Amino acid sequence: MGRIFGRGTRRGAAAGVAAVALFALSACGGSGSGAGPAAGDELPKTIKVVSINPTTGVVAFAGNSANKGYQLAIKEINDTDFLEGSKLELDLKDTKSEPQTAAQEMTKATTGGDISAVFGSVSSNEAVAMSPLAEKQKMPTIYTQAGSDGVVVGDYTWRATPLMREYYTNLTKYLKDSGAKSIGIIYTEATPTLQDIGKNTLPGMAKDLGIEVTASVGTQATTQDFSAPISQILKSKPDIVSILLVGASNPTAMTQLRQAGYDGPVLGNSGASAGNLKPAGADADGMVWAADFNSAMSAESSQTFTKLYQDEYGEAPLNYAAEAYDAAWFLARSLKEAQSADRESIKDAMAKVAESSFDGALGTDLKWVDQDLVVPGVVIEYRDGGEHILYEGSGE
Amino acid sequence: MQDLLSVVTLGSIYLLFALGMSLTWGTIDILNFSHGSIFMFSVFSGYLILEHTTLPFVPVLLIGIAVGAVMSLLVQVLAFEQIIRRARDKRTAEMQVLIGGIGIAIIPLAIAQHNTHSVPFGLRESSFTVHTWQVGDLRITNIAVITIVLAAILWAAMAFWLRRSRQGLALRAIGVDTEVASLMGVHRRRLALATMAVSGGLAGLAGILFTFGLGAITAESGDTLLVKAFACIILGGVGSMRGVAFGAYVLAACEVWVLTQTSGSWVEAVSFGLIFLVLLVRPTGVFGRKEVRRT
Repeated sequence: MGRIFGRGTRRGAAAGVAAVALFALSACGGSGSGAGPAAGDELPKTIKVVSINPTTGVVAFAGNSANKGYQLAIKEINDTDFLEGSKLELDLKDTKSEPQTAAQEMTKATTGGDISAVFGSVSSNEAVAMSPLAEKQKMPTIYTQAGSDGVVVGDYTWRATPLMREYYTNLTKYLKDSGAKSIGIIYTEATPTLQDIGKNTLPGMAKDLGIEVTASVGTQATTQDFSAPISQILKSKPDIVSILLVGASNPTAMTQLRQAGYDGPVLGNSGASAGNLKPAGADADGMVWAADFNSAMSAESSQTFTKLYQDEYGEAPLNYAAEAYDAAWFLARSLKEAQSADRESIKDAMAKVAESSFDGALGTDLKWVDQDLVVPGVVIEYRDGGEHILYEGSGE
Repeated sequence: MQDLLSVVTLGSIYLLFALGMSLTWGTIDILNFSHGSIFMFSVFSGYLILEHTTLPFVPVLLIGIAVGAVMSLLVQVLAFEQIIRRARDKRTAEMQVLIGGIGIAIIPLAIAQHNTHSVPFGLRESSFTVHTWQVGDLRITNIAVITIVLAAILWAAMAFWLRRSRQGLALRAIGVDTEVASLMGVHRRRLALATMAVSGGLAGLAGILFTFGLGAITAESGDTLLVKAFACIILGGVGSMRGVAFGAYVLAACEVWVLTQTSGSWVEAVSFGLIFLVLLVRPTGVFGRKEVRRT
């Protein structure tokens, strides 16, 4: 049995009994049919799944981390014989951080008759391109990180990550405690998730706290020099600044922000994790962001995952890996529930499995709501070259 | 004034990067789309060396220049010369060089991506420290000053050399008509190699300065600059030293103006839209030379 999912698996077992009964009833009405692996009353020896994620390009740091999480979980699932004689086989496809490539790979996966499910892209842009194909071709697809609208669009699409706007509000306590009366925001227009945070979520949080947004500047995917938007923001003399960027933009913006004379705290996002801030050195100190996972989280199941990951890879896991790990186990439990590699059966089983809460890498007592995973979250500060937990959950 | 400084600094980076590309395109007809990768890989090489030893500013700069020059020479000798030699006509050669450059660019990109896992890298391990000076309301860094001064000096030197020196005249002659230039005793291959080396060195120089200024780049950073350099060259006119400078600073000014006067969402659209409008009026670019055709 999975070392983390013991509690959830017991509930899953109970659900399994009900599923057997339901299956017996449905058998009276004849067998179902669907694309992909043939429907049957037992799992095949090998179940093929595909991870369609960026392993090169600007968001490769997230895609590569997610793949490690998938691989770790699948290794554990296979080693523990969780699927009782059946093995998961994972194929990695690179989207190159390009939505069109993601769509192409999804098309290949859906037309490949032997693929049972897909782990979708961490990138919102890519996920939005993939989801219509997943629904149209009835391919069970589990995303992580892709936090924009247009990703979970029907019965076949799931997201093993909460929307960033859901856990970003954990920063409310930090913002309140800072005593700031004004805020300046720089965000990237290139990522729907961060655009939403920059345009809607953060201004809403500020408004609720009586904080004035003195300036807000959107940047393009091709922006590499942030001195001009930083200058514009600082002209308005905000008490606190938010930098909502991805990848290399984070250390650059922090460096230029300090060079511009601002030495206060900075609200960021998990795009600054994965070692992205390292090139900025001490200039990166003071960036704070909300995330759905950190390797120092107190939950026992999170620590168990962290140890497994460290034993396998020799490094601390990132949130992308944790999300993927939970996503893979969700699929495994769904396969066990379905006792079939048929896509439609898996889809139905997912809905059944999601009725129960479970303990996972992202925390304990995790619940699915509208096919999105709800997690407590954590607030992290970057300081002295590392990430440190300020508080877990909302901190209240 | 701070915005003006941003324009000048950003424009200087664009200029340093685009100078080499404009030089090769305007003289030896090489539109080198691996220029962006050479820019990036020069920095990447400096980054790798700095992982093992601490170096001050000048040696790091020299590493960037040297790596850029060597890479550019290798691209010319191993790829472009072979393509040109085998092509059936000039137009085919130009197209194949273009495609070859795109293909070659993938190699250093893949190496850097594999090594860094696409995480940003920088030159912070250098002993060089970026200092910020406050002059009234103006804040300026030492690296910005260095960038602006070097861009101005190198641009002026190159423009002077092309215009006033015998070798510059020979190079310009190649740009006008390769065959006639050869008849006049111009050694095209030697000049082409030298030009490619200078171009690559400029890319490396730009990369080092860019990275010190921004703190970090990624394996994909060169590709972004490539698009902008192309726009600068087209706007100013292919092969024109005045043109490439004009294009670089106009593009930078447009970008900064849109960023500071609006929410920033329209930077790309407005900047490139203005360039497009200019080209509708003047297809050869603002300082582009008139095309002479014999019937």
